[in-house]
Amino acid sequence: MASAEEIADAYADWRARSNGNERLRKMVRGWNRIVHLHTTDTDESFTLSVLDQELSALTRGGVGQPDLIVTGSSEDFCDMFWGDLNPSEKYMSGEIKLAGSGEDVMRLDAISMVAFLDQ
Amino acid sequence: MDESRACDVVVVGAGLSGLRAARDLTAVGFEVVVLEARDRVGGRSWTDTTPGGHTYDRGGQWLGTNQPRTAALAAELGVTTFPTFGAGEAVEWRAGERSTYVGLIPTSDPNAAADGVEAILDLDLAALDVPVDAPWEAHGAADLDGQTLATWLAEHVGASPARVMLDVAIKAIFGTGAEELSLLFALFYLHAGGGLSNLARTTGGAQAERFVGGSQQLAVGLAAPLGDRVVLGAPVHAITYGPSSVVVHTGGGAAAPLEIRARRAVLAMPPALSGRLAFDPPLPGRRDQLCMRMPMGSVTKVHAIYDEPFWRERGLNGQLVSDEGALSSTFDDSPSDGSDGALVGFVAGNDCRRYEAAGDKAREAAILDDLERAFGPDARCPRELVTQHWPAEPFTRGGPVAISVPGALSGFGPALREPVGPLHWAGTETATEWCGYLEGALQSGERVAAEVAESLGAQAAGEGL
Repeated sequence: MASAEEIADAYADWRARSNGNERLRKMVRGWNRIVHLHTTDTDESFTLSVLDQELSALTRGGVGQPDLIVTGSSEDFCDMFWGDLNPSEKYMSGEIKLAGSGEDVMRLDAISMVAFLDQ
Repeated sequence: MDESRACDVVVVGAGLSGLRAARDLTAVGFEVVVLEARDRVGGRSWTDTTPGGHTYDRGGQWLGTNQPRTAALAAELGVTTFPTFGAGEAVEWRAGERSTYVGLIPTSDPNAAADGVEAILDLDLAALDVPVDAPWEAHGAADLDGQTLATWLAEHVGASPARVMLDVAIKAIFGTGAEELSLLFALFYLHAGGGLSNLARTTGGAQAERFVGGSQQLAVGLAAPLGDRVVLGAPVHAITYGPSSVVVHTGGGAAAPLEIRARRAVLAMPPALSGRLAFDPPLPGRRDQLCMRMPMGSVTKVHAIYDEPFWRERGLNGQLVSDEGALSSTFDDSPSDGSDGALVGFVAGNDCRRYEAAGDKAREAAILDDLERAFGPDARCPRELVTQHWPAEPFTRGGPVAISVPGALSGFGPALREPVGPLHWAGTETATEWCGYLEGALQSGERVAAEVAESLGAQAAGEGL
């Protein structure tokens, strides 16, 4: 299990790397979304947004109307944000779930392929 | 004098679409006759056993994720499935060099890999804007249909390593190169199958699972309860039709010539083949000319059978993408019971045509070179090597699917499913979900059965007045 603080630390790292990655920025062009994360084991919620090709900071709790809800274990969120876990396998096995449109799923699929190219 | 039979609906073609339509129509009380040219059911779904006792699929062989009709039919018939082997690394052969990678995208050149992902995302997002039930109504349909997928790729990817790998995926999916595919058609096809990344995938995608004992069991299982309603060895060569009746003539097969009179006909075959039948009166120009613009892809399916899947011990998953030789892609095709090891591969598009001209020996030699380069010296010595050259199949003439050339969908598209008098059209090419796949065949069979039942219901109601 990972605490909310650990998830926030990992996310801060992910955010810095993503916002500095021209390739990833290009892939979210025109894609503005409010995203809720929900941990299955610790029952915590977090909110982040993608706006004008920038990832926002992470907020505790579910804020606003989400376009996209990602559900998974606290450990998986941590590992993913540290860049150690390509989430696509967990998604296919159903351990990570996405509630969003077809476009949202395609974007996240492509983003994870680029972000985790060697995994 | 031909033997004559009468029924409500005559179905031409005992592939999955025709059999599914026949079953649905029989279930609601219509008398149905299914005419099949070959001595077997299944069409492009064809399971065979080698002289050495290895069972394999000469045609369609995978169950994809999110293919509910196929999964339900398999479950109903007691046909079990198992995951396509995917653990380990895939092999990339590009520009004369071998490398290995994990996941969907070859990564020997990370920048190219990311370019490839971006292109796939752009294509898949564009595909979402093309309505699957009427691609010709897409925004800018004429413009999209006025260019090829190759034009789009040249503009968005250029001549890069990413393009090489995209071309391999496209060849494997469509059986032909991007230069022949209308961009509108390609986008429609990607949308119908959940996107290019989905169509290229094993785990979680179109190649996720396989059928224990082969895919043809689905067709055999559909045909069994239909009994002698299914006539094998009965190639249809002529169809005479009026406003609400049809006479179908068979001959030249194992079965004695037949003359089937019916109120409706379902033509469950690729458009190009339906266009070769002799219709009286001739089909409307729009329908016939659509048939001229939907050629079959070109694919030779190859199975190499070994005593065991030796590549797995080397950490390889049996997958190859290659820009050289005959085989552009391979997958692990070993049976679930571990009795032996097998690789399945595709010689597609211009490679398929080139090696048809070069001859079987040259093709076989090239395939063995390809296998050795990818998987090591022991791959050169399969116990058995079988090739299924689909363009030579008389009652399919290519594969895996019919494509649309530029101008076809925007100019003629509605004729794909629009009935002509009592004639209704089926086959995976008419599907709006998983066009080109087993799932699409089943969907088209369901759709045409409902369409025919409704028109006969309406006619019966009209006659009652």
